[in-house]
Amino acid sequence: MNRGNKRLRNALLDILTIMLLGLVLLPIIWVFIASIRPDADIMSRSLIPMQITFDHFAEIFSRGDFLVALRNSLIVGSLVAVCTVLIAVPAAYSLSRFTYLGRDFIGFLILATQMLPAVAVLVPLVVIIRSLGLANTLTALTFTHLALGLPIAVWMLKGYIDAVPRELEEAAVIDGSSQLGAMVRITLPLIRPAVVAVGTFAFVLSWGEFLLALALITSAEVKTLPLALQTLFDPYSFSWGVVMAGGVVIAAPTVVLFLLFRNQLVGGLTAGGIKG
Amino acid sequence: MSTSAQVHVPRAFGKAALPYALVAPAILVALGIAVLPLLYALWLSFQDWYLLRNPQPVWGGLVNFEALLTDGALWRAFWRTWIWTLGTVAVEIALALPLALLLNRDTTIARLASALILLPWVMPFIVLGYGWRFLLDSEVGALHALLQFFGIAGNSSILNDPNLALAVITFISGWKGMPFMVLALLAALKSIPDELYEAAAIDGAGPWQRFASITLPSIQNTMLIIGLVLGILAFYSFDLPWIMARGGPQDATTILGITMFKAVFTDLRPAYAAAISVVMLVILAAASFLTLKLGRRP
Repeated sequence: MNRGNKRLRNALLDILTIMLLGLVLLPIIWVFIASIRPDADIMSRSLIPMQITFDHFAEIFSRGDFLVALRNSLIVGSLVAVCTVLIAVPAAYSLSRFTYLGRDFIGFLILATQMLPAVAVLVPLVVIIRSLGLANTLTALTFTHLALGLPIAVWMLKGYIDAVPRELEEAAVIDGSSQLGAMVRITLPLIRPAVVAVGTFAFVLSWGEFLLALALITSAEVKTLPLALQTLFDPYSFSWGVVMAGGVVIAAPTVVLFLLFRNQLVGGLTAGGIKG
Repeated sequence: MSTSAQVHVPRAFGKAALPYALVAPAILVALGIAVLPLLYALWLSFQDWYLLRNPQPVWGGLVNFEALLTDGALWRAFWRTWIWTLGTVAVEIALALPLALLLNRDTTIARLASALILLPWVMPFIVLGYGWRFLLDSEVGALHALLQFFGIAGNSSILNDPNLALAVITFISGWKGMPFMVLALLAALKSIPDELYEAAAIDGAGPWQRFASITLPSIQNTMLIIGLVLGILAFYSFDLPWIMARGGPQDATTILGITMFKAVFTDLRPAYAAAISVVMLVILAAASFLTLKLGRRP
């Protein structure tokens, strides 16, 4: 096959790729477009909007219940992100740098919790949380959401710490630093992109989580965004545009942060190491 | 700890305890969120606890498991869950395989597309569930209009059709899980050495022969493992059928996750729900074991 032929073939396959990708992502594109067009325009069922409006976003951001849910989701998501990082970094460091009795089992135990679907532990968790009197609290939701991102965070960070040469820390220890001091001052800055990534990941997972929130939260003042989206189905003044705008608000950080996070994972450690 | 007044023994102890202290919070979370609830579910499944009759659980022995066996609705949900699980994985493979083959090229478009293809996987169920409900809505849905044109849907949305609702939500479930399979297959495809294809081309093998004798054998293991992981996720689904149809119409999309949820929150029988989750775990362990065993044989 000559070069020109190969280029033509790749160009044709690229066009096919774009078409198929568009088809696969069409439902998502439709949601985003419906959120910025008037309801009368949505009724036309075509993809191309005749008119663009931000009324739907103005409406949801003027609704008290939606703003409360936004605040709750921000609180829970941020707490989950911070706690995940604070718990995962030392755990990953321990699993990576020390050899001790039970280490492999502990690593397996943490990884196994990642495999466990929320439905499998839902009933006992709900009963336990209710008997502790923590139903309808953001505390309970935050704690259960830790399970979403923590195990994968530990294992990802362990991989990154494994890749940092021990000699860097040993040099710092010879210079009079304690081992933990060496970790904080030498290793932590090197794996910072990965730390940001796992924190982001934990935030995003908590932000969109539905089942645990549905099972643990019933009162309006502690509802999170996925639950608030359901209440946008107001039987009296129900608008698809408003619901789709709510969907975009929930999806937007996920989409943006995930696309950033992807690049960070690829560039990740090497870039951090070079920039020092 | 580092003061010079301290003797050697506590220092040595401190050194030995350090790695445990660092990993302890993570262990506590794993115990609190996974191990403890699982043990509690096991204990709960042997209790007799119907909230309308007795506010506290009392020992009931096998009473829940006996009730399971004669619960007709549960058995229907059980078989439905297998249709749902296998259907989801089938859709995932059917969508992911051609996409992965197409994206396994070194062009800008292919690289960009393999990032964007992740979107259905990373977007929350709640957004996608309502998005698809919108598309299938009988008054405003574009997809509904298309289905109506082809005579598949009537005047009402197919989400209200007991026969079609499960099929369409299974497809959506597969569509959402597909990117994970694409990603895994891409990694497997990239690890196949080009020399194999070159050698096969010299031997005069056509594209289909090359696919069947080189590509497929190299990726079938990945397909099995990732299919199993996605199958487990599908078996434990709740969000999509709940958000899109609340398990309806007429229980048509009530899979085990929804049965369990309703057992706690509608029927107020937490011990019975715990028994269902214990049985689900046992079935899943057995099915995973069998799949891996069958996969290893050749």
